[in-house]
Amino acid sequence: MKQPRFRRLGALPLAGIPHAVFATAFVLLYLFPIYWMFISGLKSTAEIFANPPTFVPRQPTLASFEYIFLRENVLRYLRNSLAIAIPVTVLTLLLGSMGAYAMSRLRGRLVDVALVLVLLLQVFPEALLATPMFIIFKSLGILNTFAAVILATASKTLSFALVILRPMFRQVPYELEEASFVDGCTPLQTFRLIVLPIMRVPLIVVGTLSFVQAYGQFVYAMTLMSQQELQPATVGIYSFVGAEYADWHRVMAFSSIFVLPILVLFLFLQRRIVAGLTAGALK
Amino acid sequence: MLATRTALLHVFLFVPIAYLLAFVGFPIVYNVIMSVQEVNLGNIADLVRPFVGLDNYREVMADASFRKVFINSLVFVGVNVVAQVSIGLGLAMFFAQRFPGASFLRGLLLASWMLPALVVGALWKWMFATEYGVANFVLRALGLIGSPVHWLSDPAVALTSVTIANIWFGMPFSMILIAAALTSVPLELYEAAALDGAGATARFRYITLPAIRPALLAIACLVTIYTMRAFDLIFAMTQGGPLDASNVLPLLSYQFSFQQFQFGVGSAIGTFAFVIVFGVALVYVRTLKKEGGE
Repeated sequence: MKQPRFRRLGALPLAGIPHAVFATAFVLLYLFPIYWMFISGLKSTAEIFANPPTFVPRQPTLASFEYIFLRENVLRYLRNSLAIAIPVTVLTLLLGSMGAYAMSRLRGRLVDVALVLVLLLQVFPEALLATPMFIIFKSLGILNTFAAVILATASKTLSFALVILRPMFRQVPYELEEASFVDGCTPLQTFRLIVLPIMRVPLIVVGTLSFVQAYGQFVYAMTLMSQQELQPATVGIYSFVGAEYADWHRVMAFSSIFVLPILVLFLFLQRRIVAGLTAGALK
Repeated sequence: MLATRTALLHVFLFVPIAYLLAFVGFPIVYNVIMSVQEVNLGNIADLVRPFVGLDNYREVMADASFRKVFINSLVFVGVNVVAQVSIGLGLAMFFAQRFPGASFLRGLLLASWMLPALVVGALWKWMFATEYGVANFVLRALGLIGSPVHWLSDPAVALTSVTIANIWFGMPFSMILIAAALTSVPLELYEAAALDGAGATARFRYITLPAIRPALLAIACLVTIYTMRAFDLIFAMTQGGPLDASNVLPLLSYQFSFQQFQFGVGSAIGTFAFVIVFGVALVYVRTLKKEGGE
């Protein structure tokens, strides 16, 4: 799995420069839409509808941000997004580390069946599960609560977490656990004090990815909660975009604020996220 | 101690699996049950509802919009799979060459995939705006189009527009997975082939491609599964319109259930989509087993 590739081509450091220049240009071009989102949020009402459009804002202004915070309850939307995403992350990490640990240690048919079940259950589209979920949560009496959206969303992030974490947990040497038993730790203590700390980095990666998914949750929030006061930012942005004539500078300001934490997390954890994704999806 | 440990491991296995069965397995079964019942707003909370056999399925099959949307789904998924895998493969091979910053730049592309799909939809809706959108401006400036394209309101173009947005959104993820598959091809093979005088094309055809074919199949399955799930992005861009031109199965099912309150019909459409993803998922699981060979 480790680099470096094609050693013989990389003998001269200079030889790679044209590649690097091309790659940089390509990446910048590819991520242009994200740049466009941020600068659209910084444009004034006059400039957003200027023809030709400006690729660098002539008079950058925070007016759209001010507007959405004062007039459109953006703070409430963001708070609701966090009120969903944080519990989902905790629940996913808790159940995910338990299940992945068990699947990495137990052998036999039971684990095979469990693994296939996890792989199969993660493929069903949320929009299709929304109707039965609606009815289930209605009969449980928890429609219009965060709990409903949290429980529904965690069912998606959990299978994802199990798939990624299982190969990681296999790497913890059993000798470490044996040593801890000899020291008098119970199996539960061994899991908490020995295994989990070793798994810190994979858990951070899975926690981040679960957080990002739950933070961007839309379908379940829209279908399981009808009160506007409870809706997360995704539904808020949608209600902006749905209008016939959207105020795009404001929509983009809202989107920028909303995705900024995700992009910051991503920049910090990029290498680990890439490693985590490739470890899980194909093994 | 070992007995307690085994007991603990079984509890650890049981809890998450029970959770998934309750919140994914049960809804799937419940969906199938609803698809053979008459379910409306009045009886949605009831336990006993009129059994209608395959009436909902018949209604779905007879619905002209269903056939259109079914074909849309196949096109949307098919084009996404082909585009994401082939562009992903090309890029992954480019980035596999050693040059300064290669792995950092490759990883950076994943930023598009990290965004919430709904935001990606909103963003592309803005870029595809007919009058003020940046897409039409750039294409006109380059002389590629004469008059502005109605990306989202022209029924002939809408599916293409949401497909482009979804490829942008998902391709980096496919590319990262393909890049991982590429690193597992033994370097010695390339060196031996180069000694034998095999050119770049021959090396790709006879070494790279056969070596990563199983991985490519697994990735194609994953892309199919992820693309079949697409809802937020299309919902934000076009809501499936105009005239179902960019509609896909999950969205149509949602519209029947939550906009027309014909839950039985929505569930029947859902079953069609379930069968498709389930089939693809089986192929995926089999490929993994063969390849992983644990």
